[in-house]
Amino acid sequence: MPANKKYLTKSPWQRFAKISAAILGSWLVTVLLHLALAGWFDRQTVLITSTYSTFILWAALMILAFLGKNGWKVWLIYFLVSVVLFGIFILGITLYPEN
Amino acid sequence: MQQRPYNILFHTHTVSGIVICVALYVIFFTGSFSFFRDEITNWQRDEQPAVIDAIPEDVDGLIATIGKSHVLKHRDIEISRYYNEKRINVNMGAVQDTLVPEEQRGGIFFSLNPEDATEHTYEESYGLGEFLYRLHFLDQIPYPYGRFLAGLVAFFFLFAIITGILVHWDKMVKNFYVFRPWAKLKTVWTDAHTALGVIGFPFQFMYAVTGAFFLLKAIFVFPSVIGLYNGDESKLYDELEYNHPVFPPEGEPLEGKASINPLIQRTKQEWPGFQVQEAHIFNYGDANMHVAISGHLEPSRKLNSSGHVIYRMSDRSVVSSLNPETNDRYLDGVKNLLFRLHFGDFGGTALRVIYFVLGLISCFVILSGILIWVSARDKKNVPDRKRRFYRAVGHWYLAICLSMYPVTALSFILVKAFPDSGRSFLYLIYFIPWGILSALFILKKDNAFTNRQCLLWGGILGLMVPVVNAIFSGNWIGTNLARNFHDAVLVDVLWIVLGLFSLWLVFFKLKKRITPPVA
Repeated sequence: MPANKKYLTKSPWQRFAKISAAILGSWLVTVLLHLALAGWFDRQTVLITSTYSTFILWAALMILAFLGKNGWKVWLIYFLVSVVLFGIFILGITLYPEN
Repeated sequence: MQQRPYNILFHTHTVSGIVICVALYVIFFTGSFSFFRDEITNWQRDEQPAVIDAIPEDVDGLIATIGKSHVLKHRDIEISRYYNEKRINVNMGAVQDTLVPEEQRGGIFFSLNPEDATEHTYEESYGLGEFLYRLHFLDQIPYPYGRFLAGLVAFFFLFAIITGILVHWDKMVKNFYVFRPWAKLKTVWTDAHTALGVIGFPFQFMYAVTGAFFLLKAIFVFPSVIGLYNGDESKLYDELEYNHPVFPPEGEPLEGKASINPLIQRTKQEWPGFQVQEAHIFNYGDANMHVAISGHLEPSRKLNSSGHVIYRMSDRSVVSSLNPETNDRYLDGVKNLLFRLHFGDFGGTALRVIYFVLGLISCFVILSGILIWVSARDKKNVPDRKRRFYRAVGHWYLAICLSMYPVTALSFILVKAFPDSGRSFLYLIYFIPWGILSALFILKKDNAFTNRQCLLWGGILGLMVPVVNAIFSGNWIGTNLARNFHDAVLVDVLWIVLGLFSLWLVFFKLKKRITPPVA
């Protein structure tokens, strides 16, 4: 009853892309989303929420990455999202440095 | 669900599960016993603490005791209770005074028995309860590698249970009522794995998240520290109020008496039922001496009830305070719940017994997962070489996991037979038998044999635990009941129940299951 191989990724490069996007890419998006929120909203609240929300979000994004068809595309999306979130974060801490 | 996502989720569940399963089993097995960490410690020492969940009333007396062997002046002293043992924790900061000889100036930590005023180092206090608790986050592997590994296991466990529940989602209601213990072995394991996995999901999800937080928080802390606090980690902990405030010493002696008991009494009068867990003294005997008293109400009255008050000693005025009865801050709620939920210490012994059972059920889910993995690959169309490999993995995994049970029972016996045993003794009597037993079962290559022998010997040794305790301490369960040593009673009864249950499995359940030929 192991999973049907027909639906699994075979190419080693694709597998590398997917696994790295799932672990590192998801971690990056999770970190930057929380930083972006901390840049705009009450820092204490965001940080203490992150004690549990980070791990749940990280795992959820990991699953999404594995479901993607092309691992490099997943990386591209996660990277672009990270860049946008980084921009929001920088804007936030510039506008509200003492949040 | 469509075929493609289903198979991908199924595969990621399988791979993440089979990679972490042995470490996860160790974590859940020892974690279940860790609910009774303090009871095991008290059982081993044949002690019963008079006060639990709070430090003793007479803090001034404790400080006078400490003062006999340590310099107190101008020093930070923290008296706290982490565990419900007789001994409490004493943490002393470095001495600022340069007139004090250098070897007496460094900060120290020790545990103190308030009744006979004896001091014990951490090494001396290391008992079986502590050992099992530490093994629960793989802390016997040198820091930080063991904890980091345990954290990764917790996180991939989170991933595995989410993918697991998604795979099972469509069949959840329909299969919930399907249990076919009379069918072939593989269906038994599949049914048990899914049914118990679904029932245990909320429990396991909470453990995966809180466990990952405790051990893996560093990988989210460091980007926050760099991004928000320019690399200054203590600023983050200030923000989250984990640090004590700073009161610089003046270097002048305090006018009047440095008496702490009246302050504690005053706090308790103001907040009835307040359990003082920590008294932190800043600059003892200094003109700028302060005392922080922190704790919470009984969880049955208010679950989130962290509170503290800081007094300035010179005029006994309140510098800052947080009322536990009205404290409904989100910050304190999260900080409190992460620990409370994980330790299961908010609902008395009954709750911890339920948690213990759920923990063992999780162990069973892990074992059945391994067995499904092996039998799903034990098919004619799989090449012989691969089949042998899969089977060998199964023998190794089951041997290592299952032999923990008799080894744990044996360790309870040996710590009673050799009372003054410290950390190295525990390492010796736990890891060596575990290694030898695992090796024997691996060589025997028979999962049914491994299972049967482990349950049998775990059961026999388990039933011997109360007997050995009675022989070496002279106290049977009845005696302990009569003198109100309920922690010792709990451990003895726990082993009787576990022992009888495993022997019942061996003699009445296992036989029938294994004799019919596997189709």
